[in-house]
Amino acid sequence: MPNEYQLMKDGALCQDEWIYADEEVGLSDAPSIISLSRLKAEADVLRARNAKLGVQLLADGNGKTKLGEDVQELEPYLDMLSLVSIAFPTYRNGRGFSAARVLREQFNFDGELRASGEVLHDQWAMMRRCGITAFELAPSVSLETFSDAMGELTDAYQPAADDQRGALWQRHK
Amino acid sequence: MAQHSSKGARFQAVTANRLSDGEVVYLSPDNQWAETFAAADIADGPEAGDALMARALPADFELHVLEPYLFEVLQDGTQYKPASVREIIRAAGPTVRLDLGKQADAKRES
Amino acid sequence: MYRYDEFDHQLVGERVKQFRGQVERRVSGELTEDAFKPLRLMNGVYLQLHAYMLRVAIPYGTLSSKQMRMQAHIARKYDRGYGHFTTRQNIQFNWPALDKIPDLLEELATVEMHAIQTSGNCIRNVTSDQYAAAIDGEIEDPRIISEIIRQWSTFHPEFTYLPRKFKIAVTGHDNDRAAIKLHDIGIVIKQNELGDVGYEIHVGGGQGRTPFIAKKMADFVPKAQLLAYLEAVMRVYNMLGRRDNSYKARIKIMVHETGEVEMRRLIEAEFAKIDASQMLAVPQAEIDRISAYFASPEFENLPATSATLDAAQAQDADFARWVRANVVAHKQHGYGIVNISLKPIGGVPGDATDVQMEAVADLAERYSFDEIRVTHEQNLVLPHIRLDDLKTVYDALNAHELATANLGLISDTIACPGLDYCNLANARSIPLAQEISERFADLDQQYDIGELKIKISGCINACGHHHVGHIGILGVDKKGTEFYQISLGGSADENASIGTITGRAFTEETIVDAIETVVTTYTDMRQTDERFIDTYRRVGLDPFKERLYAE
Repeated sequence: MPNEYQLMKDGALCQDEWIYADEEVGLSDAPSIISLSRLKAEADVLRARNAKLGVQLLADGNGKTKLGEDVQELEPYLDMLSLVSIAFPTYRNGRGFSAARVLREQFNFDGELRASGEVLHDQWAMMRRCGITAFELAPSVSLETFSDAMGELTDAYQPAADDQRGALWQRHK
Repeated sequence: MAQHSSKGARFQAVTANRLSDGEVVYLSPDNQWAETFAAADIADGPEAGDALMARALPADFELHVLEPYLFEVLQDGTQYKPASVREIIRAAGPTVRLDLGKQADAKRES
Repeated sequence: MYRYDEFDHQLVGERVKQFRGQVERRVSGELTEDAFKPLRLMNGVYLQLHAYMLRVAIPYGTLSSKQMRMQAHIARKYDRGYGHFTTRQNIQFNWPALDKIPDLLEELATVEMHAIQTSGNCIRNVTSDQYAAAIDGEIEDPRIISEIIRQWSTFHPEFTYLPRKFKIAVTGHDNDRAAIKLHDIGIVIKQNELGDVGYEIHVGGGQGRTPFIAKKMADFVPKAQLLAYLEAVMRVYNMLGRRDNSYKARIKIMVHETGEVEMRRLIEAEFAKIDASQMLAVPQAEIDRISAYFASPEFENLPATSATLDAAQAQDADFARWVRANVVAHKQHGYGIVNISLKPIGGVPGDATDVQMEAVADLAERYSFDEIRVTHEQNLVLPHIRLDDLKTVYDALNAHELATANLGLISDTIACPGLDYCNLANARSIPLAQEISERFADLDQQYDIGELKIKISGCINACGHHHVGHIGILGVDKKGTEFYQISLGGSADENASIGTITGRAFTEETIVDAIETVVTTYTDMRQTDERFIDTYRRVGLDPFKERLYAE
């Protein structure tokens, strides 16, 4: 997303090597995040490109549909993708939590999964549990705030896309 | 939020709930959040209503109250009273528990 | 009853701390109200008309004496001496201060309770049959699987920001007392031909603006696969449920718009993928651990009848009437299920004072194996009372105005808080319930009328279940004035149905007369022993309409 953000990745603030590519312009050799429609339209050309490729999955209709984009549509292109940026248009729209788990658990996607858009304090830990490893955060968020939020709940009741098994299973190891 | 003031409303006041305890409060003429409807500033006419609402929204209003809004008030002789059942109940307390809310405070003080 | 282990204690403790932090961030101005609102809602804190309201979860409606005493303590210390039991088997406090709620929650956690997920667009408190483990004919105690669902759904990372709220109800009995067909997911415990226990799943029921009876999505989901099936339903909903219009965001709308067949296909396709991982099959040892908490109490071997009870009934007509109305047959000889009506004539449906709560706690501790249940019809239950003790229990209840003998009768009304408390309401509900119960105050007349469920909502959100009342009443607002619409023929049991609106609404002054007209129309037309709902189903709406709107 073209908004100003700082990137929190694998628990550290870092320089973002990725750019969100302009839809109208040809791709550079920099690692580029494109739209799903562009990915579908230019897949053959993009497959031959010798640089890292990412896609952003929209969770709202962008004015076109009621639902936004379907994660299932990414399946044929996964071998080309090093990153999926999952959009959370508002914190109320939790569709991306499911998209993340499907990518990790059903498609076994092992590239970067990042949360973009409205990525708020009280959702970071849940996003991580669903397999998201990178977060586009507001510039005001400190590393300490982020780490504290991640540690608020030590255990979980249920399994998800991370390595916690959940109390219902863990009690009988 | 629902509309609490009709288009043709002449008199209006601003109400909100206090952040710390949720108490119903009204914006007073000296820009304080008062606990009784009697202390509310009453705006006469739509422009005065807009001006009153603007006074309820200084930059830091969220530190004191939540969800301020304008509501319609009727003139009743020399007095004013809220127009809707909802605002009458907010100004007094539950009609099924006359021992609770502002109506009870008023009774204790008199 | 389920008891917390260190996992549960730690999670709830950490949640209280987290919420304390959120309140501090709000008060300091770091969080705007817009950002704080979903956080407080997720922890059951609403803003109502006069104050904040806190909703405390009572998982599947089961409470111990100690937990009930804590509710009394909270009512006294943090509120104004009373609480309100809700149609979701929870309790609400109407006057807590925001800055004291973290302390309140800390005290609540000491009795293994919380307010987690009692609001917000997440999986809410699981509800169940108030007669669980006390009624004859149950396949399995529904609270075992309810507890497993409670744990699986608590802080679920994927399903906490759903398109809309999500309610699950479970019954283990053919007679549905949990209104499972009016839930997003309704689960009926079943036994197949091989004797295996599994689950019949209904999806897409609900009330509100657009009421629907749930569709049966699966006849029999084997025990080990239930969580995988639930996760499949939730994922399909989270991915494909509408978010563009909050009135169309519940799963009932999705089922309706997608169609039952396609919905089933989507769920089964997702279920196949999740089930293949075996990730959600709960270990048998854990099921056994949880089941052990719900082991049957050590009932005495008693005769089926009690001479003490018979003698007391012969002596005290009021007591005899209460036994007939409020005591239900228990599966164990010599015991009865006691219903405590929270609908005294002229009272506020579902309200109980701190003193009343303590009285109930004392009785449960002494006479009911320490157990209390909350019903979705806003009453309480002492599930296991010896017939020999009924008179003693009755006298104690009576001393606290808790012995109204009106279970299932016309004055046993469900009513939402309405415009007396609620920020969303258009009209008051409670005064109407009070006036109706006063109009029909004569209990003999109530028995003559027989089973009649009146349910009153103060707005279209239908918290008072008006769609499924035999007589439903909906409050509407017309330019700041209250009006009331009547619907007839609704039902929330195993033969669930949605009521039909009779016609134009009545004023506050005429609504109680209109209800009386409906009742008289019924008593004039009923055949021997025919209940209101059966008469209605036989004769239809027209005779009622004619009488209601006759000039």
